[in-house]
Amino acid sequence: MGNQKGTFIQLRALTKRYGERVVLDRLSLDVTEGEIVALLGASGCGKTTTLRLIAGLETPDEGEILIADECVAANGRNLVPPNARGIGFVFQDLALWPHLTVAGNLDFVLASAGVSKGERAEGRDEILRLVHIAQFASKYPHQLSGGEQQRAALARALVARPRLLLLDEPMSSLDADLKMDLLRELGALQQSLGVTTIYITHDRAEAQVIARRVVTMRNGCIPQTVSDKELPARVVMCEQDND
Amino acid sequence: MGVAISLFILLCALPVIYMLGISFISTDGIFSLVNYRGLLTESRRRSLLLTSSMLGAGTAVLATLVGAPLGLLLARADLPVKRLLRLVLIIPLVMPPYILALAWIYIGGSAGLIAWITGHDLFSDWTYSLAGAIIVLGISFYPLSMLATEAAAQRVDRRLEEAAMLVAHPRRVLWRITLPLIAPATAAAALIIFVLAVSEFGVPGLLRVRIFTTEVFTAFSALYDFGAATALASPLLIVALLAGWAANAIIRDSGDRLLAPRRSSASGLPLPLGKWRVPALIFVLLIIAAFVALPLTILAAEAGRAERIVSAAGKSRQAITNSLVLSTVSATLIVLVAILLGYWQGRAGTRMRRIVDLVFILIFAVPSTVTGVGIIGLWNRAGAPGTVYSSPAIIVIACLARFIPIAALVLAANVRQVPASFEEAAEVAGAGWPRIFTRIVLPNISTGVGAAWVMSFIFAFGELGATALVAPPGESTLPLRIYTIIANAPSSTVASLALVQTGIILAPLTLFGIFIRGKRAQS
Repeated sequence: MGNQKGTFIQLRALTKRYGERVVLDRLSLDVTEGEIVALLGASGCGKTTTLRLIAGLETPDEGEILIADECVAANGRNLVPPNARGIGFVFQDLALWPHLTVAGNLDFVLASAGVSKGERAEGRDEILRLVHIAQFASKYPHQLSGGEQQRAALARALVARPRLLLLDEPMSSLDADLKMDLLRELGALQQSLGVTTIYITHDRAEAQVIARRVVTMRNGCIPQTVSDKELPARVVMCEQDND
Repeated sequence: MGVAISLFILLCALPVIYMLGISFISTDGIFSLVNYRGLLTESRRRSLLLTSSMLGAGTAVLATLVGAPLGLLLARADLPVKRLLRLVLIIPLVMPPYILALAWIYIGGSAGLIAWITGHDLFSDWTYSLAGAIIVLGISFYPLSMLATEAAAQRVDRRLEEAAMLVAHPRRVLWRITLPLIAPATAAAALIIFVLAVSEFGVPGLLRVRIFTTEVFTAFSALYDFGAATALASPLLIVALLAGWAANAIIRDSGDRLLAPRRSSASGLPLPLGKWRVPALIFVLLIIAAFVALPLTILAAEAGRAERIVSAAGKSRQAITNSLVLSTVSATLIVLVAILLGYWQGRAGTRMRRIVDLVFILIFAVPSTVTGVGIIGLWNRAGAPGTVYSSPAIIVIACLARFIPIAALVLAANVRQVPASFEEAAEVAGAGWPRIFTRIVLPNISTGVGAAWVMSFIFAFGELGATALVAPPGESTLPLRIYTIIANAPSSTVASLALVQTGIILAPLTLFGIFIRGKRAQS
């Protein structure tokens, strides 16, 4: 498989095992630059593991990961550490640092990216305005509502202008109305910033709202990709299941 | 439940309330702040306050400097035989501090190891000093800092560190994310160590350091000056109460503010040591050598032959028997009361739980000699109280007064681990509360009950400060016997008895550890 023009993420035959259990089974996926792709699948099918491998938080047993044509993982090793991959990540439980305010959470990211103290405030305030929580900058995470925490986590993931945004079921604990509102806002934000995005969910409706391309996963592989929000009525059996 | 609460108030709270009340009464029997004014105006009391505070602060700093890194290593580093290392490292905590002070004297005293090696008394001034007391208490209490730091490091949500790793170097993650999340638990442990140090009686007594607890003991036991003892106890009580309140505030605040907004079951990231693995292991082994092996070895060397130990134990058979019986009875009664209190606290609403937490911590923070004087004031009266006061039962009462709160705290934590739905299911099935408690709750906290009993036994067996004040004439416990014969008996006898006491204390702990391991292996 050669590099495609505009391809930003390339996952090539990724395999990941936990003991005897194969979580990812020769998974391959390409994501175009600036695209937002939803990974859809039931719990335990390997979605989170895929994201964690791309981020460098885990190491693939086999296969390769390329980001912007740079090989970041291959031959069972991570070649580029997580903090050098230019990734913004929104975890399922948000992982907002509880001892830092919202502003403090963002400042930490900017400082780690080498942004000078004088420039941090500008970058921080801009992203807080974009996600509509500028008034909560001095609050601690536990003082925010669920939706506000979501926005804070998103702001932290975007503040250093990452080249890739990964979201691991970030809306799973929100009520339906709030979820849809946030999803639309996220979609608009992604369009305006143009950041390549992979969004994980087990909810078809969420996938339909957020992404133009939906990739279904089952048993650690990808049986089907659907464009333009046309989701299959049922999940197609993966080829590997017949081996 | 009412009985348990009444017993708690009578045995634990009343002596403290009594002491607080008396501290505001002058010798004329009227309300007065003279005891507190004296704290500021009398140079002797200012000196005692300064010395006590320095002892507490110095001990807290030393214990934290040693214990916190150990806790972090045990929680996260890839060290070999961690379980064994942890077990050995907590030995100083279960040994009564005055036994460590004895070992310290045998090393640095005028007839100690250093004097024997060098042929000169180079070290005894330093041995019998505030610095010496700080070192001994630091050795005694560093396991508290270690255990608190280890527990906190294990509870840190891994996602918090992973989120930081995406943008920062692991060293920066450790300094800016991991350590700040652990810090409140370490700080709370340091405050508790401060309280335990200023409340300590045996070590300053042996090392001739004059602090409030030793002066309270002298004022009362030597001079029988109840007023003076109360006056000396009052600032100590306030210091202990303030520190206990601060520790509780930190623990409570970190629980509210510093936990991850959403819960994650993934514990913190491992700390790969790489080239630092060997130095870290050397550090741990040096601590074990200096703080565990050396004191025990020096006591054994001082005791000499096994026959001496047996002989010394035989001559103190009554004291040993008294200690075993009184500690067993105390531990059993402590747990019986604490189970009910702990259940009540564990199932209480948040606001009530916080208040009760604070009360328990405050009472535990009260120095042993202060509790002792309070017990004397309440029980040394005509009639039934006087009958109890002149019997060995008063020693049991002193142990109950001191250790019911800490046992209740431990058991409350165990009760909270049992889902309320377990009891609700039994209630829906028609069971009454006594049946629910005995058939549902107790089996699910049985390990915690065992741990509370062992902990209470160890504390009761080693208790000295209150016992020294309240023990009836002719009644002695092993700690009291050791403390009183130090000046007159051969060092081999004293060391032998210290080893006997250490052995008796380690025995239930070891048995309990084996029992727990067996239980885990079965499940």
